[in-house]
Amino acid sequence: MSDLLLSAETGRMEGTRPSRRLRREGKIPAVVYGLDSDPITVSVAWPELRRCLTTDAGINALITLDIDGTNHLSVVKEIQRHPTGRNVLHVDFLRVTEDQQIEVNVPVVLQGEARQVTQFDGMVDQSMYEMTILVKPTAVPQEIIVDITDLELGATVKVADVVLPEGAKSVMDPDETVAIALITRSTREAIRRAEQGDAAEAEGAEGAEGADEGDEGESGDEG
Amino acid sequence: MLMPKKVKHRKHHRGRMKGAAKGATEVSYGDYGIQALEPGWITARQIEAARIAMTRHIKRGGKVWINVFPDKPVTEKPAETRMGSGKGNPEKWVAVVRPGRVMFELSYHDEEIARAAINRAIQKLPVKARFVKREEGF
Repeated sequence: MSDLLLSAETGRMEGTRPSRRLRREGKIPAVVYGLDSDPITVSVAWPELRRCLTTDAGINALITLDIDGTNHLSVVKEIQRHPTGRNVLHVDFLRVTEDQQIEVNVPVVLQGEARQVTQFDGMVDQSMYEMTILVKPTAVPQEIIVDITDLELGATVKVADVVLPEGAKSVMDPDETVAIALITRSTREAIRRAEQGDAAEAEGAEGAEGADEGDEGESGDEG
Repeated sequence: MLMPKKVKHRKHHRGRMKGAAKGATEVSYGDYGIQALEPGWITARQIEAARIAMTRHIKRGGKVWINVFPDKPVTEKPAETRMGSGKGNPEKWVAVVRPGRVMFELSYHDEEIARAAINRAIQKLPVKARFVKREEGF
């Protein structure tokens, strides 16, 4: 069983208006499903839920749901948020067992500075921010760290290159790109603009010199 | 400027913009984004102006994503024309945005410069919008 205990109330009414009433009371509508059992609609207290999901384990924390005196080991499968307010509207809990592997999304974090990329005005474009892995609920890593220190311009980091923690297995395509080192189109445009600016300046300077020479010539004629 | 290559119908109804955005409400490609806070029509010119404002400010080393596409034609009648005689001519293309929509995204290593670039781009848009960051964790 997990250390995080969250009590959930059953018997909530379904639908928009009862759910809004619940939210006004400081509760979050939720559903618990998985392990071939019937889904249960519940509600959880917002402060308690926030406490459970802001631990070191992050959003993939293993939570023991206390539903009417019965404990259900679960993880958060999905959180719905308001588009602008960002407050939590609904939570899906997935029932799990400690020894059965589950699919979870774990954040991918790029570590280090790719000096060989930045010295040519390039950037490391991270195209994958979350990776789906198959792992036991008790061994879910907080994040997957990818070292990009030795990344060169034009090189890519693929799923197959990522070192996963022991016991974890990727369920994604090994050829999928995690990050790529490139020079973006806007950077190329900026370089081109800068070069054009330099060229225009140089032409302007030449033109000014020519004009000066012409003036001198005229004055010479006069003299 | 952005516009469709070909369309099924040259003239559209105006439509309504009730409620909030259904998707694209989070930063998904870059690190920072511009989120609409009210509904509105963003013209292709405004999208281009915002893009230019952002890219000019970050100079080099960043990447910009445009998550909206102006696929709705807007018609206008010529000035000093009597009413009637059918619908006007298509004059511009707009993207319909609703509150919550992340319209642009930006990837850049310095948050302060990214924020300034995004604020410049927001000035070019006809709706209230705000700077948003990628949500990590809870």
